[in-house]
Amino acid sequence: MDAQATSLAMGGAKTNPHASRSHRWLPWAWAALLLAVLSFLIIYPTSMLLIGALTNVNPVVDGYQLSDLSIANFLTVAANPNVAGALLNSLIACGGGTIVAVFIGLSFAWVVVRTNTPCKALIASAGMLPLFVPPLVAGVAWAILGSPKTGLINLIMSKMGLPIRIDLYSMTGMIFVFGIYYAPYVYMFTAAALRNMDPSLEEAAEISGASATRTMATVTFPLIMPAIIAGMLLSFIIMLGIYGIPAVLGSPANIPVLTTYIFALTAWSPPQYNTAASVAVILMIVTGFLVYLQQKAISGRSYTTVAGKAFRPRALNLGPWRFLTLGLAIVYIFVVVILPTLALTVAAFRKFMFIRDIPALFDMTQYSWIHFNKMFDNPLTLQSIYNSMYVGVLTAIIGGILSFAIGYTITRTQTPGRRIIDIITTIPVAIPGLVIGVAYLWAWIGLPGGLYGTFWILALAFVARFLPDTVKALSTSLMQLHKELEEAAWICGRGMLGTIGTIVLPLARPGVVAGMTLLFILAIRELGSSLFLYSSGTMVMAVQLLGYYEGGNIGITAAFSLVQMALLAVLITCTNWLSRGAAEGGVVRTG
Amino acid sequence: MSSELRVEQLRKVFTTGKPPVAKAAVDDVSFTIAAGEIVVLLGPSGCGKTTTLRCVAGLEHPTSGRIVIGGTMYTDPQAGVLVPPRSRNLGMVFQSYAVWPHMTVRQNVAYPLKARGTPRAELNKAVAQALDLVELGSYADRPVTQLSGGQMQRVALARSMVYQPQILLLDEPLSNLDAQLRLRLRDDLRRIIKRVGLTALYVTHDQTEAVVLGDRIGVMRDGKLLQLDTPSEIYNRPADLFVAGFTGASNVIDGTVVSRDGAFGVIAVGANERLTARLGDGVSEGSAVKVALRPDNVGLSPVGDGPNRFKVRVASRHYQGTQTVYELTLAGATIEALEVGSAARHDVDSEIVVALPPEICWAYAV
Repeated sequence: MDAQATSLAMGGAKTNPHASRSHRWLPWAWAALLLAVLSFLIIYPTSMLLIGALTNVNPVVDGYQLSDLSIANFLTVAANPNVAGALLNSLIACGGGTIVAVFIGLSFAWVVVRTNTPCKALIASAGMLPLFVPPLVAGVAWAILGSPKTGLINLIMSKMGLPIRIDLYSMTGMIFVFGIYYAPYVYMFTAAALRNMDPSLEEAAEISGASATRTMATVTFPLIMPAIIAGMLLSFIIMLGIYGIPAVLGSPANIPVLTTYIFALTAWSPPQYNTAASVAVILMIVTGFLVYLQQKAISGRSYTTVAGKAFRPRALNLGPWRFLTLGLAIVYIFVVVILPTLALTVAAFRKFMFIRDIPALFDMTQYSWIHFNKMFDNPLTLQSIYNSMYVGVLTAIIGGILSFAIGYTITRTQTPGRRIIDIITTIPVAIPGLVIGVAYLWAWIGLPGGLYGTFWILALAFVARFLPDTVKALSTSLMQLHKELEEAAWICGRGMLGTIGTIVLPLARPGVVAGMTLLFILAIRELGSSLFLYSSGTMVMAVQLLGYYEGGNIGITAAFSLVQMALLAVLITCTNWLSRGAAEGGVVRTG
Repeated sequence: MSSELRVEQLRKVFTTGKPPVAKAAVDDVSFTIAAGEIVVLLGPSGCGKTTTLRCVAGLEHPTSGRIVIGGTMYTDPQAGVLVPPRSRNLGMVFQSYAVWPHMTVRQNVAYPLKARGTPRAELNKAVAQALDLVELGSYADRPVTQLSGGQMQRVALARSMVYQPQILLLDEPLSNLDAQLRLRLRDDLRRIIKRVGLTALYVTHDQTEAVVLGDRIGVMRDGKLLQLDTPSEIYNRPADLFVAGFTGASNVIDGTVVSRDGAFGVIAVGANERLTARLGDGVSEGSAVKVALRPDNVGLSPVGDGPNRFKVRVASRHYQGTQTVYELTLAGATIEALEVGSAARHDVDSEIVVALPPEICWAYAV
């Protein structure tokens, strides 16, 4: 025992001259700052949306007035049969799509994880590609393939004399396209569950005398049920917030869903901002309820394995049947990846979409760069690409800094109010992009000289929309840094900021860089919230594509779709290369 | 009910790595377990003991060899015989328990009977009996996720015995439990298996577990069964240096055989010392040997006169409370000796006399 320790033990230690009382307010100020930023980004727009749903006042004409707030306004809208119809259509389309997605995703997971199907790894990564295709592009591609009159599939079928006709401009069409594009969500959840299951759980059933099918029915599926439910609800939630697919496939058949209905309300003249806010609130309530169910499914009955080791999943030897499963997997990839890409390519390069017969499809004189030339002749095209990049960079920088600050505060400090910061950060999970768009519209349209019509409103809306995902990604990478690494720096005499600068940031850099590039990608492909926030000077890529589509020029639409897909492919490859797979995880949670 | 198990020339070759290398995980293993006998396969990880067990279960397909249970051929790859696990009527307890977390205790235990289509009345009776046997009768309707590790393992045991299997297979069933529970359950396990009279094949890497549980112990290394014998034979007459070392004979003295007289021989060790030891097979005059000896068999300051008395220096002393470990310098080698009791009687650097009883000094050819 040395003297110093003794004196400390006796409570007689001298006061350290560096122990500063004056900095006690600092954590409080920091918490207040973060809360102010979050209120500005999330609470204020959401509140304005709620107020909008409860008033009858037109914010553009009258500014904001709190005088005639009444639940009656909201109830009138909710009782409107058009709203109920749109809600019902949404539930049918997303419910049907989810059933298709679960069927495909679960089968795909089982084939990839549990069988000896050849080329499994290749199939698995190809099967994830639909995740990266923007919904609008997917919708356009399938419209080219499956429109009742001019669809390529119908054309080929009729020229071949086959009595098969498809009509994707229908509820069935929406269900089909939703289902095949969102199957990867179910796949990811269930494949992980199948992979992490202790194989001896199934072996025990076999030893007990159960047949392979009995084992699957009584052990395997019940055990991965929480994962199936979680994946199912997530895909449902994401479908519910999608605008692009129902806009392209549902609108021609006059089947409005909630998202397309909300946009239609704001596009009317005069715009029905109050009704749009009310419907957006309904969409938010439905989504919030489903998110709650999904969180319960994830946390409630998860069967964690007893032994904390990695398992080698048992691969079922399918014998010659493995070529059947390979064939089915190839069919799926052909349908979701190759067929739509081919359709876009044909449409983009063919001078006229009129195709007389099948040989004409291969007549090379019919193909040219004409649509690309026309597209780039329109100055708006390049301008929108440039605008998207600009907004993307803004989003990545603001979002990256804010997410790091929040992530660090939540995971690493004892800052007062960090629980509430955490909770507010999570709110946007339950708000579809389109609803964020309406909320930001409401928050700023009535303030002349405010953010409305600027790039900032787009960037801030994107930051708010993707905040839960980026904060989560950054928190994960921060939590992987051992606390003692920081404590060692403090012991060495560094202050808090010095430690963050010299230890935390350098070590967490891969995570931060990945988070920022991911934000950039998400921002440039976002359509839902952009729809309500762009102005003529801030037109972004996704909205411009919708413009071309609605303008009716399918050649230019397809050409621009290909350009966007190529751009995204390059960016995602770079991100994946930078972060080893973080982009995949990120796009997954946000659609 | 319980049957004899015969494993003949079992061989399992895995092909792993890039470029693919074939490695025999189980290499020509043969043994027989009599009905009602408990045999423990003991060895370090990767020695092939679990693969052997999984081959018996039918979960792993051997490359060659035969597995005969109760006179019926269950595995014979050469003849194309490979009965699937579900038709073998074996019980198995897994290292990770493998109790199904989505079922209650009762549902877990009833599962094998349901798969067999056992009538309800009979099923209920058998489940109740099995649960009473493992003393979990009052937990029947709990979800298994609410049980402790030891309780889960007992559910797994009840589940594996409820249908009166021909043979019970246990794959390191205690390795996930904490030390105290392991000791208790170890004794319980043997008692329960013996009461039911089951033939059991038990796999572990823990020597004390093997000694307490097994009627016979088979020591394995690199896919080979080195010795299969009663615990006291394994401990007192290990077949080779590895078995000796693995069961705790950690002292090794190098020497050369001077003369051989029946089972014993005189070995020159160190500068000019002579040591009498039991000679292993293939050891003759002039061969270099390693003499293995357990630290607890080193007699400290023996009374009277006898063979193998040596003057040694105490190099270091490690007091461990209830026992003391000394490092002694003997004929140039360092050996450990154990003194039981809480009093350490010898000081560092003192010279003492030790006795190494010849019948438990084993010399093996190098």
